[in-house]
Amino acid sequence: MSLTEIFLTFAKIGLTGFGGGMAIVALVERICVKEKGWLSAEEFMHGLAFGQILGPFSLNVCTFIGQHLRGVRGGVVAAVAFILPSFLLVSLLSWLYFTFHKLPQLQAALKGTNPVVIALILVVALDMGRKQIKGANGCLMALAAFAATVLIKLNAAWVLLAAALWALGVSLYRRRHC
Amino acid sequence: MATMLTLAWIYFRIGLMFVGGGYVLIPLLKHIMVDQNGWLTLRQFLDGLAISQLTPGPLAMLATFTGFRAGGFMGGLVATVFIFIPCVVLMLVVGRNYNRLKSIDVIRNTLDGLLPAVVGLVAAAAWNMGVSSLSGIQEFLILAVGFAIFKWTKVSPMVVILGAGVLGLVLN
Repeated sequence: MSLTEIFLTFAKIGLTGFGGGMAIVALVERICVKEKGWLSAEEFMHGLAFGQILGPFSLNVCTFIGQHLRGVRGGVVAAVAFILPSFLLVSLLSWLYFTFHKLPQLQAALKGTNPVVIALILVVALDMGRKQIKGANGCLMALAAFAATVLIKLNAAWVLLAAALWALGVSLYRRRHC
Repeated sequence: MATMLTLAWIYFRIGLMFVGGGYVLIPLLKHIMVDQNGWLTLRQFLDGLAISQLTPGPLAMLATFTGFRAGGFMGGLVATVFIFIPCVVLMLVVGRNYNRLKSIDVIRNTLDGLLPAVVGLVAAAAWNMGVSSLSGIQEFLILAVGFAIFKWTKVSPMVVILGAGVLGLVLN
């Protein structure tokens, strides 16, 4: 995998992933896992879990995949390529804002992209769910994570730490009793 | 030069602090930019928040806006680079050790065991986004069409998102 290809792929994602956050994750999953097969679905989701614990997860999954492909250099290239389009856009908009004191009317475009992005995230969630959720234990954990996020607005990092403890408990229990 | 060093140091510290979740970022930046240094009025800060949310980048792109205000283009560049250094470095450390960690049974089982929670988090993001941005029949229609395209065709998602953006501009 050449650094140029890593750069171009993540720059394209950084240019089109309007909606941010999970929209980026869904886009990266479609392109890097499904289309290009750069890493397995499980590896991607492990990276996403780490990324959510360590802050800005959209950037973190890009760094994780770049590193997976070409080591530290690959990770840095992926991170820079992903941030670059947003950086240039914010710089331009900031300049316009502080020079002309006006906000750009781009909200209308987001009215079109938001529903599509939600659809993309849903499709990715369904795909992931079909593969990764097995048995009552898995269903229960997925529902609990969903409810904790939606209903009590629990931070993703706490949800994942709780899930890790749960999974650890289950695997230790199985080891002792099987 | 002194300003750039100050900016670099401020944003590096912010980058360290928001490891764990982006939620502390907004009050933290507001405190530093508006209350402490007076680089921005509250109004400007909120407008900057809106601008950073227009882009595909994380919420922390707010650093570009506030850095730009404090020190022009270079200020924005320095702020952006330094706010992201901590999380990129941490992620590289995790990535380097990932394969080794995965070969330990307990860790491997734990990582695989928590995957359903990741699915729950992804679904929750779709839900939260839907609650805050879907308001009319038109939007549900676009959602349904998008869902069908992503589920049953091989059209590139980037093309679909850009197309939907143009559609949004035309319709609104």
